[in-house]
Amino acid sequence: MIEEMQRDDTVFLLGEEVGEYNGAYKVSEGMLARFGPRRVLDTPISEAGFAGLAIGAAMCGLRPIVEFMSWSFSFVAIDQLINNAANIRYMSGGQFKLPIVFRGGNGIAHQLGATHSHRLDAVYSRVPGLIVVAPSNPYDAMGLLKTSIRADDPVVFLESEIMLNDTGEVPETEYTLPLGKADIKRPGSDVTLICWSKMVKLCLKAAAELETLGIAAEVIDLRTLRPLDEKTIVDSIRKTNRCVIVDEDWPYCGMGAGIMARIYKDVFDLLDAPIARVCCEDVPSPYSHHLEQAMQPSVEKVIVAVKEVCYISPGNQ
Amino acid sequence: MPSNITMPQLSDTMTEGTVVKWHKREGDPVAPADELADVETDKATMPMEAFDAGTLAYIAAAEGRKVNVGGLLGVIALPGEDAQQVKRDAQSNPPPAAPAPVPTITPQIEPTVPTPAAPPDSSPRLRVSPLARRVAADQGVDLAHVQGTGPAGRIVQRDVLARLDQGAPTSASPPPAPSPHAPILLTGQKKTIPLTKMRSAIAAALLRSKQTIPHYYEAIDIDMEAVAALRQRLNQRLEKDNIRLSLADFILKAVAACLVQYPALNARFNPETSEITQFGDVNLGLAVAIPDGLIVPVLRGVNQMSLRDIRIRSADLIDRARLQRLRREELSDATFTVTNLGTHGIRQFAAIINPPQVAILAVGAAQQRPAVINNQIVPRTLLTATLSADHRVVDGALAAEFLTTLKATLQEPGMMLI
Repeated sequence: MIEEMQRDDTVFLLGEEVGEYNGAYKVSEGMLARFGPRRVLDTPISEAGFAGLAIGAAMCGLRPIVEFMSWSFSFVAIDQLINNAANIRYMSGGQFKLPIVFRGGNGIAHQLGATHSHRLDAVYSRVPGLIVVAPSNPYDAMGLLKTSIRADDPVVFLESEIMLNDTGEVPETEYTLPLGKADIKRPGSDVTLICWSKMVKLCLKAAAELETLGIAAEVIDLRTLRPLDEKTIVDSIRKTNRCVIVDEDWPYCGMGAGIMARIYKDVFDLLDAPIARVCCEDVPSPYSHHLEQAMQPSVEKVIVAVKEVCYISPGNQ
Repeated sequence: MPSNITMPQLSDTMTEGTVVKWHKREGDPVAPADELADVETDKATMPMEAFDAGTLAYIAAAEGRKVNVGGLLGVIALPGEDAQQVKRDAQSNPPPAAPAPVPTITPQIEPTVPTPAAPPDSSPRLRVSPLARRVAADQGVDLAHVQGTGPAGRIVQRDVLARLDQGAPTSASPPPAPSPHAPILLTGQKKTIPLTKMRSAIAAALLRSKQTIPHYYEAIDIDMEAVAALRQRLNQRLEKDNIRLSLADFILKAVAACLVQYPALNARFNPETSEITQFGDVNLGLAVAIPDGLIVPVLRGVNQMSLRDIRIRSADLIDRARLQRLRREELSDATFTVTNLGTHGIRQFAAIINPPQVAILAVGAAQQRPAVINNQIVPRTLLTATLSADHRVVDGALAAEFLTTLKATLQEPGMMLI
């Protein structure tokens, strides 16, 4: 964000605690001191208000970055996102562009309970007019955020809340990453694992374990949920003939369900088994730590699903 | 809704019971746990209790009547229902006949005819994954002969590939005959089936063969590793032509090559004229199982055919044999017959000679078995071939030489080039 704000002075940040508190999760640490109160704005607890304000600012030529302390809080601003941000270019016949980025922590963190653990992936990915991005590591996050800020369309940027402290190598020189392009994090030939955000680490762990069972899993990190990089997915399934979608969302009408529906027609003839899904249990997010862990996907659950599509009975290799 | 009282299953083996005595009459009130009647089973007489409260509106099974388990004994009108009406309804709409007792013995399945791709549910539709279907179409595998190992008997890619490895259904071996819904005969039932013309013909011919020909049998084990490896290499090259050789093709070629060296076995014997006619052409009869029978189409001039020819022509012949669309010349003039139950998993068997031929070769399955090489026990792919020969005209030593030559040829397949 700092690089983009240095590069372009119409970019500014607003949200709860982003300024004086240096960020609820310290993402915007030092930015108020560096850029001053005209470019880093502390807002009251009023998501609908400051989202609408930012949309108006974008319509007037600025490039706001709106931080939601948690994407769960975006529900109170959902009218602004889905009815205004998504539709303004369309409804104005292209008279307005909307270069706005909404970002914040998404997904199940740690014992934040049923109201603060939402996965907003599917809620926004279904809306034409929005771009939805979900990086899984610092390198991707940086490159994708820069591109998102430079994009002239509204971007829903889903950061995995529990991963905000993850570290990773990031080049010193400037770089951007393309939106709408998935990344094969681990090539393989036996089964395609489709994942993004928090699930990528899990799938890579599962892939390592599957390797010891003689199954070479290809892990695709989608990076962008809308628009979906269908080509990378289909090319992979053409190679492996088997697919497991691993996502943190609920099973019914969750993000994984949407992806499955989108690709099925194209991959049907390539499949040796129906596409399997590993996702959260169909329950509200529990407060208890153990229940919270139990309702989420796990390496074991991924391996069971892979065995299912390989027609290996769970007890055997 | 009134509550039906049905004959309960009071013991594991009970299939029917008799109401010995009713303790209630029509119109009597009933409370849960009241004894309704005494029921005699195969083991003892036991009381039957009511589960509902209401009125016993209708007695369907009079005392002394035998009723199957699940059959209707009576109807209880629940509180608020008109017992008379319930009785009238029950009398005018007799419930469907009680389900026939389910036999607890599972029916014997013929071991030599594995049920191909028979899903556990009753739907006759094949379940096949899209990929498997494509592979089967590309390779010319008949899905009806593939055993599905996926859920609900779904045929998946590995099943089609396994079938190809075994020697696709288009080989000289009789494929698992699709047993159409073989109805289960219940205890006490019997079924009389008149012989079809084909069955009668087969019966007569085989009887005559066994009665007139002094059969003797010689078996030999053949190490098939060399052939298996060669087959794999050749198939890689032939993939682009969509040709896939099976083990049976190699066996036919080897048999033909050996018969050229042993014309005494490639012969027809006429006991009337006391003449043995030996032939320079090897016309191999291929035994093919068809629904309710057996047919032996003839592949002519196998001694002059390449493996590729053998594959293509035998596949065609067998397909048409199954459809019973063979030409007259394809059913005659065999000089030797090969029958193969390898795909059925049979290790060894002895066949019956088709006169006027003088011998027949029965080929078993290529199986991983322990073998002794250099004083060590090692796993090898072995196959047992059994020759049945007519002792009037073929001597044991000759037959043995033929078999050892066949073994040597298959164990060093290059010999077929010489």
